[in-house]
Amino acid sequence: MEVLKVEDLSKRFGGINAVNDISFRLEVGERVAIIGPNGAGKTTLFNLINGQLSPSKGRIHFFGRDITALPTHRRAHLGQARAFQTISLLLNLTVLDNALLTLHGTRPHRFKMFHPVKDFKDVFEDGVHALNALGLWEKKDEPVSSLAYGEQRRLEIGLGLAMQPKLLLLDEPSAGLTIDESSDIVEIITNLRQDMTVLIVDHDMDMVFEIAERIIVLHYGQVIADGTPEEIEADQHVREIYMGVEASDTTLKAG
Amino acid sequence: METGATQEEQNRWLGKILVSLGSLFLLCCPLFLSSYGEGLMTRFLIFALFAMSYNVVFGYAGLLSLGHAAFFGAGGYTVALLKLHFGVDLFWISAPLGFVIAAFTAALFGIIALRVSGIYFLLVTFALGQMLFSLAWNVKWLNSKGMQGITGISLPDLAIQGLTLNTTWYYYLVLIFFAISVVVLYRLVNSPYGVALVGIREDESRMAAVGYNTWLYKYLAFVISGAFAGIAGVLFSYYNFFVSPHHLGIATSFLPMVMAIMGGVGTFFGPVIGAVVFIFVENYASILTPQRWPLILGGLFVIIIMFARDGVGVYLWRLLSKVTPGYGSIKG
Amino acid sequence: MDWFVINMLNGVSYGMVLFLIASGMSIVLGAMGVTNLAHGAIYMVGAYAGWTVAIKWKATFGVGLLVGGLSAAVVGLAIERGLLRRLYKQPNEQVLLTFGFVYILSNLCLWIWGGWPRPPFTAKFLTGSIEILGRAYPKARLAIIIIGLLLAVGLWWLQEKTRMGAIVRAGMDDKETASGLGINLERAFAAIFFVSSFIAGAAGVIGAQLLGVRTDLGLEVLLLALIVIIVGGVGSIQGALLGGILIGVIDAFGRAVFPQFAMFTMYLTMIIILIVRPTGLLGRKI
Repeated sequence: MEVLKVEDLSKRFGGINAVNDISFRLEVGERVAIIGPNGAGKTTLFNLINGQLSPSKGRIHFFGRDITALPTHRRAHLGQARAFQTISLLLNLTVLDNALLTLHGTRPHRFKMFHPVKDFKDVFEDGVHALNALGLWEKKDEPVSSLAYGEQRRLEIGLGLAMQPKLLLLDEPSAGLTIDESSDIVEIITNLRQDMTVLIVDHDMDMVFEIAERIIVLHYGQVIADGTPEEIEADQHVREIYMGVEASDTTLKAG
Repeated sequence: METGATQEEQNRWLGKILVSLGSLFLLCCPLFLSSYGEGLMTRFLIFALFAMSYNVVFGYAGLLSLGHAAFFGAGGYTVALLKLHFGVDLFWISAPLGFVIAAFTAALFGIIALRVSGIYFLLVTFALGQMLFSLAWNVKWLNSKGMQGITGISLPDLAIQGLTLNTTWYYYLVLIFFAISVVVLYRLVNSPYGVALVGIREDESRMAAVGYNTWLYKYLAFVISGAFAGIAGVLFSYYNFFVSPHHLGIATSFLPMVMAIMGGVGTFFGPVIGAVVFIFVENYASILTPQRWPLILGGLFVIIIMFARDGVGVYLWRLLSKVTPGYGSIKG
Repeated sequence: MDWFVINMLNGVSYGMVLFLIASGMSIVLGAMGVTNLAHGAIYMVGAYAGWTVAIKWKATFGVGLLVGGLSAAVVGLAIERGLLRRLYKQPNEQVLLTFGFVYILSNLCLWIWGGWPRPPFTAKFLTGSIEILGRAYPKARLAIIIIGLLLAVGLWWLQEKTRMGAIVRAGMDDKETASGLGINLERAFAAIFFVSSFIAGAAGVIGAQLLGVRTDLGLEVLLLALIVIIVGGVGSIQGALLGGILIGVIDAFGRAVFPQFAMFTMYLTMIIILIVRPTGLLGRKI
């Protein structure tokens, strides 16, 4: 079953096409990574898929349904969950607050106005469960801003998973993390359910090659390669781009 | 963890004690205050309610609106117009109608104002409020003969056998509505809706990404806020016996802003504290230097913004409980 | 035909005043991201200072204009340097603070100059009228149009062709990069604020030919500026000019056709723009 279909997607800013005629498909359960030099349009692509931006041209289909004009919050209800490039938790609120707010987002009683939040025991229990799984229950009353960066990242991804999404969008999850923290993330992702589809953007090639069964390479807003890790590794054009443009930023696995 | 729990418990006890003391005082004060003092207390309750209504849209939802008096005035003008043109004295007609008209005005203005955000939102709410001011100034039907505003409002008729309202009874009527509003608003801000509002204030983009229709939440906050401001406006017209276009414009919109900020924005009782300070200062300024009252108010406001941004209420609380309060926190 | 021309001229001359009022506020908002609600009050300070010099001390109108601009600029700069610059990352606080100053400045003007409104005044050589299409038309209004156009061109040139203008535009688009390039942003901001307040003060004296001088000008002028900004869009001279003239003309014809509801033509325009094109006709993204 096709989870996501992106068709001739373009996004124009001023005179520049940040995303230029991109098309690809994701099947259920695929683990796909999008890589490319900085400015290639990766985050813009995510913003288009998740609804923060609307395309200048093209369509997006989610489980067969055209979601191009659908606002972001509706896409969450359809099953998208996203971790942002800069951590987007509610920094001034506590860990528990963040968990409960995230979980309530897709529940029908989020509009209730007359009962205190603590009455909604089922959501609370889900929150407890999620925080325990992340090892963050002890810190439930701490403001998120006081957590270490790696913990924040783990929390953000963990809460995204707690939404039980069908498509998980991870935007540079390894940014700013230590090697250990990165492997934690890899572990979380590899242990996900088979029917969860993951689309990840990252610069950490070790992580990418460990997680992804398929890699899409973007350059100046266009797809220049789409294939298995081995195919991408061997691709001349891709090698040129990485060697030529940003040798210091990314390292491809030695052949 | 041990200390944390005890401290939170302590805070809760402190809160309960303060609220109980405050309530006791409010219940009994007509017994020992002069009628002037009683009038002042009535005024305080009305403005505290006005400020609390503003706190929903500004403190909790984070929307800086500069036209809140439009809804306050809408409530007040409804009462006044019903009296002026239809001779209606009955509280049970005028008050609910005032509430509805205020809510309706907020519903209308909200749709226009929420088309934009940030600075623009502020500018638009300001302009919309001034538009109503302009209407009230120019349209003859909205004024008593030959003047600006509507006079001739008197204490309401409650249609209760044997009860003729005097100002003391009116104080208790206001107190009842104040208390009901406090309870309703308290439940609102602690509900899933209220808590989500705080989340939206903190990071709207994230809240949308996890499934909240953020526009709708903000819109509802705007309308609810306006509705409660309307209640305050209704109660005000019976207290003041007179409504003027100024009660729709920025001069009045500024007041709940000042009170909410002075007391502590985004805290539940902050606006009430702010109202206390405001009424206090206003009273003494109007006795000592009536000409310079706006200067004092402006100066006070600037000082609070620069040096006591969290608000007097919050500082007092910290003093009393020696703990830094967080806001918008959900208790599990 | 002459009815049309006369009202058009009325609209454009009033619109020029609106443009002058709005331009300063719009530039500060666009370039610095600062909302200065005291802008109308600063206009008022300029108007009072100009009146004092031109009428009370009987110096010339030109001197009054200069003094008005300078006094307003000094007041504006004092607010910015003293208080506002600590609130750069806090838009809500800026709004609240500058709004507090509306009260302070209005009341101070009341204290110093007293509550009686000063009637419109103008330069000696601009009193009286010229004949246009068989009707007498005030010279002062024509002068306003000319001055307004000159200032519009001058400001546009500043915005597009000078280094300061480039800084302003860079600041609008990306503050961090701009400061990273070694531009002393603090000084640039102070200068921009100074210029913006000077324009406001000068506008106060120019506008006094039509509006006179009163203590409630602070809020009234603020409201006009806001409507022009909403309609014309933030951050550019062109936006302020287009917004100002459009509102001025709509207002003039509104007054001519239904005098009772004149003010509403402005509000109606604003509401329509908000519904149809929320960023304003020539708005840049803030």
